[in-house]
Amino acid sequence: MGRAVGIDLGTSTCCVSIVKDGKPMAIPGPDQRLIQASVVSFLQDGNRVVGNAAKKMMIANAENTVYSAKRLIGRKYFSAEVKKAQAVCSYKIVEGENQSVRIRIRDRDYSVAEISAMMLMEMKKIAEAYLGEEVDKAVVTVPANFNDGQRQATKDAGMVAGLNVLRIINEPTAAALAYGFGKGLKQKIAIYDFGGGTFDISVLEVGDDVFEVISTAGDTYLGGDDFDDRLIDYFAERFMREHELDIRSSRVALQKLKNAAEQAKVELSEKLETRIHLPGIMEAMAGPIDLDYTINRNYFGQMIMDLIQRTFKVCDEALQNARLTVGDIDALILVGGPTKSPMVQEAVKNYFFKDAQANVDPELVVSIGAAIQAATLTERKAGALLLDVTPMSLGIGTAGGLMDTLIERNTPIPTESSRIFTTTHENQTAVRIKIFQGENKFYEQNELLGEFRLAEIPAAPKGEPKIEVTFEIDANGIVNVTAKDKDTGKAQSVQLTVSGGLSKEEIQRLKKEHTGKGEEVAAFKPDLELIE
Amino acid sequence: MVDEGFKRQINSLAKVIDELDYYQILKIDQMAFEEDIKKAYFEESRIYHPDKYYTEPLEFQEKITGVFKRVCEAYKVLSDPDKRALYSKLINGPERQKYLRFDLRLLKAETEKKEDEGSSPLAKKYYKMAKTAIQNKDFKAAKINLQLAIKMEPNNQTFQEKFKEVNDILASRKGL
Repeated sequence: MGRAVGIDLGTSTCCVSIVKDGKPMAIPGPDQRLIQASVVSFLQDGNRVVGNAAKKMMIANAENTVYSAKRLIGRKYFSAEVKKAQAVCSYKIVEGENQSVRIRIRDRDYSVAEISAMMLMEMKKIAEAYLGEEVDKAVVTVPANFNDGQRQATKDAGMVAGLNVLRIINEPTAAALAYGFGKGLKQKIAIYDFGGGTFDISVLEVGDDVFEVISTAGDTYLGGDDFDDRLIDYFAERFMREHELDIRSSRVALQKLKNAAEQAKVELSEKLETRIHLPGIMEAMAGPIDLDYTINRNYFGQMIMDLIQRTFKVCDEALQNARLTVGDIDALILVGGPTKSPMVQEAVKNYFFKDAQANVDPELVVSIGAAIQAATLTERKAGALLLDVTPMSLGIGTAGGLMDTLIERNTPIPTESSRIFTTTHENQTAVRIKIFQGENKFYEQNELLGEFRLAEIPAAPKGEPKIEVTFEIDANGIVNVTAKDKDTGKAQSVQLTVSGGLSKEEIQRLKKEHTGKGEEVAAFKPDLELIE
Repeated sequence: MVDEGFKRQINSLAKVIDELDYYQILKIDQMAFEEDIKKAYFEESRIYHPDKYYTEPLEFQEKITGVFKRVCEAYKVLSDPDKRALYSKLINGPERQKYLRFDLRLLKAETEKKEDEGSSPLAKKYYKMAKTAIQNKDFKAAKINLQLAIKMEPNNQTFQEKFKEVNDILASRKGL
């Protein structure tokens, strides 16, 4: 039996941690760094490079280097988020089966879960090299506001990577655990988690060994990447005005600018002004043209202020749902690379009227929390108890377009809710039901999770069959649907089509391909039959 | 390993849980204070949280998860004052058995049935202002606005009920 680790699978960086002799710690990679870039670069010879080494190839191998794939995970091809990513990414995003998103590299299409699996495999490798033993189990973190599809896809990625995913936990919850574990606190804490691609705010009450999430809110498409995009747009526009050439039209030039913009952003956390100089970035008739601009912190701050303000709207929502005000918060914890920026820190301090906890590393804290949870689950010792909630309401579509909410958001998980369904015409043998997640009262405005079909209903007059359908949200935040005949108690078959996901067979095949062992894969939604 | 006594306890609890109301599940009195509900939720979690039994056989894990789900459900309903009030009314009524598990549709039906926002524009306006005042916990302002609304439409049940509620709150505040 192998070891269990905690993995923070971030949009821009990943980190793996363990609990060693009762102490949680992050593990350094081959380059001795504790965090690795979430980048996979596919080489001409069929090999691939993952992590910080791959990030260095983003320019030379722009079209075959995948970054920020998490922004695409579990999303449908036609969603606005995917369109947005397509406009700025240097790699090719194409449509796969079942409205899923695929990434086309050297004529092969990869699912997003597969790219995430490659990151997870790298983290597994780093931990194994450090420990000198096999790692086969992990707690993997996701943004609190991830929906069912995104969580399922993350779990699939774990399976493809040959890991038994003990649990999917929310990033801010993991951070709270890392901050409060073993301290015997009695506090209300706010976790301001501004990541590379997503923003989450969670409000928790810590009572010694119990960590209760009172409310959570988030934006799954708002992060530090957006800061980069602002800078890219600014420089590209300025360059266009001066030279009438669009940097964004060349993948290589865009990639160069992207790297430089990211570096400028990081530098502006330390310095008041920075220079960005890219010699010969574009070719004109008269020869190569340089891009050479300086930008100061204030101006950059103005550029991103609206993005930071957007996070406070989300904070308002979370506090309101928790029936608390900023004055009730005892401790504030910052998570994620972008919170290292003085502009963000200043704004957050002004919002919460409070300094953030200084002894927390915003880039390691999530994976450390995941490692603590992994140890709690695998070792028979008193650990921490997480009482988490579901970030979005779950409901079904009804005639007339309204969503019938079964489980409200911020409901403690695991939880379940049942409804009784019947037939609407004589001898009907199947009923179709669509499930959604979201807060809009019209289901069309919410995220479709999938459609399930109650089949093999015994022939009977209309309205007579009574089928009790139970909707469960498990501790991972993943939705399971089961059904039984209310009169006979017999299990009723449920066929569920998950939108944008991988099939059971696909997971098996990919696992075999990537790890060489495909035989014993844990059951994928065991009580459901997938329609391919 | 979990001892046999605890296993038996979980088995029998799983059997009778459908007969218990949320107060019984959290082992608290129907008159319990809000903070006691949270305390009970934490206490019960320390006993039934499935993460404590992750290495136990699957069958036992499923059973204890079933119990824990009810603990969570009980907390969710009882920690929300509106839901708690309605739930308490229902389980102390003649159809107790039917309402042991709270259904969101009940709350919706209840609020839809109850709310009569008035028919004249002025009464509507005063009632709306009263509701905003209640949200801001300014019960004195709420009382004045409700009095005005009642003057416009003396037969409106919703206005009367809200007025009584606000009066009760003001009275209880004076008592403190």
